[in-house]
Amino acid sequence: MMRVKQNSAPVGVRHAGWDVSRVGMLVDVSRCIGCNSCTVACRQENALQGSDGWLKVWRRERLGTQLIRYDYSQSCRHCADPQCLQACPTGAIAYGAGGVVRHHEEKCIGCQVCAMVCPYGGVKVMTNGKTGKCSLCAHRLAKGEEPACTAVCPTGARTFGEREALVREAGERLDALRRQGLRGRLEGNGDLEGKGGHKILFLML
Amino acid sequence: MTSYVRTEVYRNRRLPGDEGKLLPSICSLCNGGCGLLVRVNDAGYVEAVYGDTGNPYNQGKICPKPMEIVQTLYGAQRVDHPLKKVNGIFQRISWEEALSLVTEKYLEHWQTSGNSAIVGITSKIGGSHSKLALSIFSELTGLVTYGTGPICYDTEENVRKAMFGNGSASAPLADAVEAGILLIVGNNPAQTKAGQFHWVQEARYRGTKVVVIDPRYTETARQADRFLQIRPGTDGALGMALLHEVIAHGWYDASFVTERTNGFEKLAQAVTEFSPVRAEEMTGVPRRFIEELAWDLSTRKPGMLWEGRGVVCVNNAGNTLRVFEALMAILGNVGKPGAGIISHINGYGRAKGLVPGADVVKPERKRSAEALYSALENGEIKMLLIAGNPCANWPDCGRMQQAVSGLDFVVSHTLVLDDSARLADVVLPATHWLEEAGMQASVHRVMQWKEPVARPYAEAKSAGEIFRLLAAKMGLPVKYFPDSPETAWEWERTHNGDIAGITVERMRRTAGGVHYPCPESGEEAVRLFQNGVFSTPSEKVELVGSDVQELNYLDLLAAPGNRGLSRQEYPYLLSTVKVAAHYHTECQYSDWAVALEKPCVEIHPDTAANLSIREGDRVRIETPVGSLELPARLTWTVPRDCLFTQPYFTQTSPYGQVPANILFPAVTDPEGGNFVNKNIMCRISALEVAGT
Repeated sequence: MMRVKQNSAPVGVRHAGWDVSRVGMLVDVSRCIGCNSCTVACRQENALQGSDGWLKVWRRERLGTQLIRYDYSQSCRHCADPQCLQACPTGAIAYGAGGVVRHHEEKCIGCQVCAMVCPYGGVKVMTNGKTGKCSLCAHRLAKGEEPACTAVCPTGARTFGEREALVREAGERLDALRRQGLRGRLEGNGDLEGKGGHKILFLML
Repeated sequence: MTSYVRTEVYRNRRLPGDEGKLLPSICSLCNGGCGLLVRVNDAGYVEAVYGDTGNPYNQGKICPKPMEIVQTLYGAQRVDHPLKKVNGIFQRISWEEALSLVTEKYLEHWQTSGNSAIVGITSKIGGSHSKLALSIFSELTGLVTYGTGPICYDTEENVRKAMFGNGSASAPLADAVEAGILLIVGNNPAQTKAGQFHWVQEARYRGTKVVVIDPRYTETARQADRFLQIRPGTDGALGMALLHEVIAHGWYDASFVTERTNGFEKLAQAVTEFSPVRAEEMTGVPRRFIEELAWDLSTRKPGMLWEGRGVVCVNNAGNTLRVFEALMAILGNVGKPGAGIISHINGYGRAKGLVPGADVVKPERKRSAEALYSALENGEIKMLLIAGNPCANWPDCGRMQQAVSGLDFVVSHTLVLDDSARLADVVLPATHWLEEAGMQASVHRVMQWKEPVARPYAEAKSAGEIFRLLAAKMGLPVKYFPDSPETAWEWERTHNGDIAGITVERMRRTAGGVHYPCPESGEEAVRLFQNGVFSTPSEKVELVGSDVQELNYLDLLAAPGNRGLSRQEYPYLLSTVKVAAHYHTECQYSDWAVALEKPCVEIHPDTAANLSIREGDRVRIETPVGSLELPARLTWTVPRDCLFTQPYFTQTSPYGQVPANILFPAVTDPEGGNFVNKNIMCRISALEVAGT
């Protein structure tokens, strides 16, 4: 006898080629258990060694009227209007298919300006001096698979799918948090055509 | 000796591509039983590990550990050939020579000092084939072995066995989605069963109230509906207060209690003095929350209980476990969907009669795990077979190292040249679980079959194979040893009525595996005791054992390990706790795991301020048995005056860290026999200030 788990989150399904311009990811720090599965999956998928990583989980706690303790799995947000892209002097950072912000390692000269200007800590400095960042697993998307981090995330803290559906999902999750007395906020929920829109939505506490 | 090379070159490795094959396997680390898909390249090497979306229990979701394991598979630290120590240096030898050496020594000590002069510490012996081969070898030689039990679950198993007649989990974790309430006590499954934690979250979305009792505000507590922060080691008092409330208000299941349990009066008697008011004083949990929890347990039915090492590996575990399990029993929360006890203990009974009585050799002596230390030290024991890492994982590991070094002959069957293997005279390379076929049971009470995904590395052999070869050399009847994992399972199945219906074929074709017990008829039981008949001699739940003492609340300061110590001298309490990126000492060789987790001791900022300790400062922790230096991490999530560190790191790994077990005395819980790795009195002092 088997039960099929009915997760309220949209589960990233495999299909032949995503419409990359419409996909997105929801990173929900309220659900993250800090297991670092995403971190390791990212390093495995993108052949990163040791401390080199495009994704990092930060342990955070804040003591106010109550103790807020969460894990922030930080990675590139694939902004519609990325500051790293504007700052890069060599064009190593450029738009890829469907608005994915790509970093081309061979063009990178290691000036690290992108890492400095990114307001979200999404660009990381690698041990070889160049920078590196999330590619939204474009090679996996092309195969109809979801990114490595969302594929393994055991709690739905990183979910992949149609961005519009994820915005609705985030709204429901925020309501649920409010009922628990926690105030969350959704970041990156702007227009993808204009400013403030991110492909990767972050639900922050 | 091995060395560890940390390359740290940016993207120096090929990306795992689409070449080769994707082979299914089952993760054999934490008993979560997550389905894996392993990418194996054309040369037969494992390249990457993914979650198996076809497995109904984890649906493609995994924690970091199985991915990290790949780095251990082909790492420089892996033992590839049998080794012999000559003048303190390991030299490569052949399997033939290694087995001859072991045989010669084994027979010598057996003949001169009796079979109890040889013992095994075999917590990492391997899969189902290796476990069976070990038990057959033990029956033929009278070898006594110590598995994971004493350092992990002995008390839990013994208490449940005494109460219900079966020490394993009574219900699958998947049942949580049907529960009205899920009580998680001293357990942090968000880290220890991360790959299966979504079942707890899923249960919560479906309306199960999740209540976590823990001294730390854990990752699990963050995902709960109610978190009760309790003073360390006082869980028993809270459990007794809950019993008090439920009994005093008559909220228990009266018909179940009369028909299916023994000892209710004695239980009621034992808890009369544990009013919520008194429990509040002892536990620090406000009275109204104790009353609320008792009411919730009584009204939200069915209910489930999931106890963790936080109430098992402690010095008053027996009482604590008994009262919580008795609470579930009198509420009638047994044997129904959504009711029962969740546990990673997945025993399914032993195969009987594989070795005929005439060939069975009884051990001349049996020693408790606690008595093993002195027997190793005083020369009673001459030879030790190790499959595991007791010199890091057993308490008072400094003493264990000393004791092991003093033995005449030590054999280590191991993946890596770890702290224990370095003290061995002969080291035998072991197969990894990805290289071995076998049955893997899980926290969902299912048995899943896994095939080997890669060839054994270099000359590695499984314990199943080694015991067969060793038996042949020693002149023992080889016919009793199965020649393959499939045969081993077939023998086990046909000699154990509880699993007779679970063939390898059936496990192979059933996604997610087969529930057990499953007798010859083939009908699987999802949970135990569904017919209300328990496995005790009386067929009822024994709420109170033969000894009513078991219900006496035992204060942790008066319990073994702390008894007699001065509160002024040792004012703090030390515990080891787990993280998701490590499992035992196995994952510490992965450079990903090394980058993620650094050894530290967690301290409450107020406690740290009193001691002038700042974030990152190195501190010295001392107990009567040992001392250890660690950097401090300040966090509000732990209670004041309590210190928490992780048990994984060893001196021979890339961490080069003295194992935390050096601080814990080798004492066991009086009732259940479990070693203690929490709530031990200690003192702490600042060593140096960070950044100066």
